[in-house]
Amino acid sequence: MIWQLDLSILTLIVICAFATIMVKDLLSAAIIFGAYSFLMCLLWTEMGAVDVAFTEASVGAGVSTVLFIAAIYQTTRKVGVRKSGRLLTKAVALVATLITGLVLLIAEADFPGFANPFTPASLHLSPYYITQTLHDTNVPNIVTSVLADYRGFDTMFETAVIFTAGLAVIAILRRFKKEDRCDIPGPYVISEAHPDTIIRFIARQLVPFIQLFALYVVAHGHHSPGGGFQGGVILGASFILLAISFDFKMVLGIMSERLNILLGNIGVLLYAGIGFLCLLLGANFLDYSILSKVLPATDTIMARSHGMLGIEIGVAIAVMAIVISIYFNIVSRGKYDKGL
Amino acid sequence: MQSIISDYNYWVYILLMMIGFYAMLAKNNLIKKVIGMSIFQTAIIIFYVSIGAKEHATIPIIAHGHGAVEAAIDVAHYANPLPHVLMLTAIVVSVGTLGVALAICLGIHRRYNSLEEDEIEEQLQ
Repeated sequence: MIWQLDLSILTLIVICAFATIMVKDLLSAAIIFGAYSFLMCLLWTEMGAVDVAFTEASVGAGVSTVLFIAAIYQTTRKVGVRKSGRLLTKAVALVATLITGLVLLIAEADFPGFANPFTPASLHLSPYYITQTLHDTNVPNIVTSVLADYRGFDTMFETAVIFTAGLAVIAILRRFKKEDRCDIPGPYVISEAHPDTIIRFIARQLVPFIQLFALYVVAHGHHSPGGGFQGGVILGASFILLAISFDFKMVLGIMSERLNILLGNIGVLLYAGIGFLCLLLGANFLDYSILSKVLPATDTIMARSHGMLGIEIGVAIAVMAIVISIYFNIVSRGKYDKGL
Repeated sequence: MQSIISDYNYWVYILLMMIGFYAMLAKNNLIKKVIGMSIFQTAIIIFYVSIGAKEHATIPIIAHGHGAVEAAIDVAHYANPLPHVLMLTAIVVSVGTLGVALAICLGIHRRYNSLEEDEIEEQLQ
């Protein structure tokens, strides 16, 4: 850890946060927020949280920015002119914010110093994970083994939360009829776009490599930063890139809505199914060591490693499908006719 | 100087939390409120990851390889992986909540043709 880097990145983050809130144009706010996420990503790397940095780069800086732009495309980029009556609201909000900040600042005096290796958080549970991971599961990336094995139950429901979010977006936005009672015509035009040959060519060349990289991230998550969540988001982003640079309909031809929802279900089912398989074989839910009975030539330790790979694949499929589904619904306002 | 370094992460987390909270309360535009919510979420993530950081520690991937000497693992040598796991899933869930929030914004815009809080209130009355 280098404290000079820490200080300067944190200062830049605060500046970006202020700029995002203050800027008058929503599209600019979305782009500055993307820069904010990239700075966050640098900060995580600097603090040694490489898996978090990877997730932030793919999710925060990548997909979130695209979702914001899609929503702005469907509404408006202008922030309305302020009316005088909101002065009271602002004053109340400022007082509430200052009180919250003051209370947190008082609590902060009791925190252990930053980067202290003997904080309570680092003394009780985490030493077990650090020392026993290689011995228990043969997986050197501790984050993956804790995510997929020691706290596998937690991660299963995190996946279920994302699946539910995808369902909620479909329930809110999806419209099947051509005419909608409270519909307004045409999306807001950000720029008069013509199909650009250079962008199309580069996107077409990049997509296979992006997808290959995503598969590598999923499969190699045991030994390097990465895993199901990151790989799934990158897979989803490759389809979003195609949808932006080419036609919305073309991607819908490859990844239809029915197939997409089916994949989301299969991903979550794969995760829960591996858990149930462990139950059927006579062990606890998600106790992968029992899988050595069905997997050929594996002992109980390698079975845990393979079990983790199985659920990471499930997570990747589910996350990919949900990210694509959320983007498609937002960018076409649930009508699946045309996009960005 | 030492006290600034040891507290700076926490100060920034409090500042970001205040910025996000203020934006959620005071901003008139719904998309700005959603951005405020996202800033609030990242502030909490900074707090957690800062707690997991250790001085002179490396990333939480154990050095290994074929033929590597099986050395005893020093706990202080690796950053605390537990906050990383919790925050990794929190980031992915945050994109889910962001999607739902933006979908609700689009639904509101579909009905009221506006994203400004006061204009929507006027139409409601």
